[in-house]
Amino acid sequence: MQTKRWPRHASQAMLLAAVLLFERAAIVGGQNAAPPSSKEEAKNAAEFKEFLDRVQAYVNLHKTVASSLPTLKPTPLPEKINAHEQALARKIREARPHAKRGDIFSEKSVAAFRRAVRDEFEGAQGRLARKTIQQGEPLKEVHVRINEPYPDGVPFTTVPPTLLLRFPKLPDEVAYRIVGRDLILQDVEANLVIDSIHEIFPPAI
Amino acid sequence: MRKTRVLLLSFVSIFFLAARADEFRFPLKFGSVRFAAIGDMGTGDTPQYEVAQRMVAARQNFPFEFVIMLGDNIYGGSTPRDFEKKFEVPYKPLLDAGVKFYASLGNHDNPNERFYKLFNMNEATYYTFKKGNVRFYVLDSNYMDAKQLEWLQKQLQEAGEGDWKICYFHHPLYSSGKTHGSSIELRSLIEPLFIKYGVDAVFSGHDHVYERVKPEKGIYYFVEGSSGQLRAGGLAKSSITDDGFDSDRTFMMIEITGDELYFQTLSRAGNQVDSGVLRRPVRTPAPTK
Repeated sequence: MQTKRWPRHASQAMLLAAVLLFERAAIVGGQNAAPPSSKEEAKNAAEFKEFLDRVQAYVNLHKTVASSLPTLKPTPLPEKINAHEQALARKIREARPHAKRGDIFSEKSVAAFRRAVRDEFEGAQGRLARKTIQQGEPLKEVHVRINEPYPDGVPFTTVPPTLLLRFPKLPDEVAYRIVGRDLILQDVEANLVIDSIHEIFPPAI
Repeated sequence: MRKTRVLLLSFVSIFFLAARADEFRFPLKFGSVRFAAIGDMGTGDTPQYEVAQRMVAARQNFPFEFVIMLGDNIYGGSTPRDFEKKFEVPYKPLLDAGVKFYASLGNHDNPNERFYKLFNMNEATYYTFKKGNVRFYVLDSNYMDAKQLEWLQKQLQEAGEGDWKICYFHHPLYSSGKTHGSSIELRSLIEPLFIKYGVDAVFSGHDHVYERVKPEKGIYYFVEGSSGQLRAGGLAKSSITDDGFDSDRTFMMIEITGDELYFQTLSRAGNQVDSGVLRRPVRTPAPTK
């Protein structure tokens, strides 16, 4: 049974996002649009609900699989970290062998994510978001696949923090990443790509 | 009643000693906090090793107790061989001497570096630790989400006013580096917290140069991104630059005693690039209504 954590986390995230976006608007000279209205928040919440339920289901799976492995504690031996990462990734792959795009990013949520990205990049602050990605050394020639590791040695493009505030807050086990024009969902500890949205970002970044 | 604060920075209280190498001396006061700062170092190439050797030599005169790492700790992979070649071997003399390293994550770092004991991150990508009268806040600027912002606000709020507050993370809020420059979007989110809760100094990397930025809104900023990498000629000194260096690798050494922060930046060749003394800005609570 899935843990029903969505309403509390989502509302907290939305509230903080609204406050920070509002404060930021003042800081960057009032260029930003007003924070989302409660109507917009409600719409976002509805569209993201299925996605967050699926994320929680994935996290539950992650925890079950992780519990079958020795717990990774801070170690001076990098080989232990590597071995744990690889074992966890292998077991997760085994648990969802047919994982494919859209398994976690539900159809409704994809529309909401695309809208959030569009609002971010087309708004007055879009220039700053583009700059953040450019400063984070965007990956253009790298292609990642679901159920495969995030390639070792490839940098992590900075996810614009104001964009993160528009996205639903994630549990610690997973994170948003940007690869090329795609939005990736990554299992951080397993270093595994678990879902993606294709070409969500505008071409010129 | 909501207590508001204003930040009164008296530039009279800030003074720099534009000292030459033979003139600058750390006070080495009893109980002071002594550390080094390195950024963008984890290449495994010869220059990183040479900077590390210079750090070992410098430590004979300035016995720093720990090192803050400003990100890009391990470039190009996270295999055991990478950790060995890009961290354990170059800094072995320091590690053997008991010097602790406290890492922040750069965009080239695998977040699972947080499990590497010698980075002292205690499984967290952002964390805090205290040394003497200095509280350090180590942030993950790759992923500044709502949760981290909440955490930062709470930590700064709880810290009170007695200690120095130093933040460090990879992406600089202020930089004249030609390659990346200032992270304006990140700045718009975290600088208000720095100001509100009285952060005193901020260290970052990412641009492969050294730069000391003029105090911005009462906060001292340093970019130290050339402890392994170097973008020669990569600094476009600007109106925000107080001093800078972009023709060789560098590292910093810092001593904090009372309200004073002494710093010295050395090049790989051992030449002094910058040095000075910063006085902690005077902050007084605003009159409450």
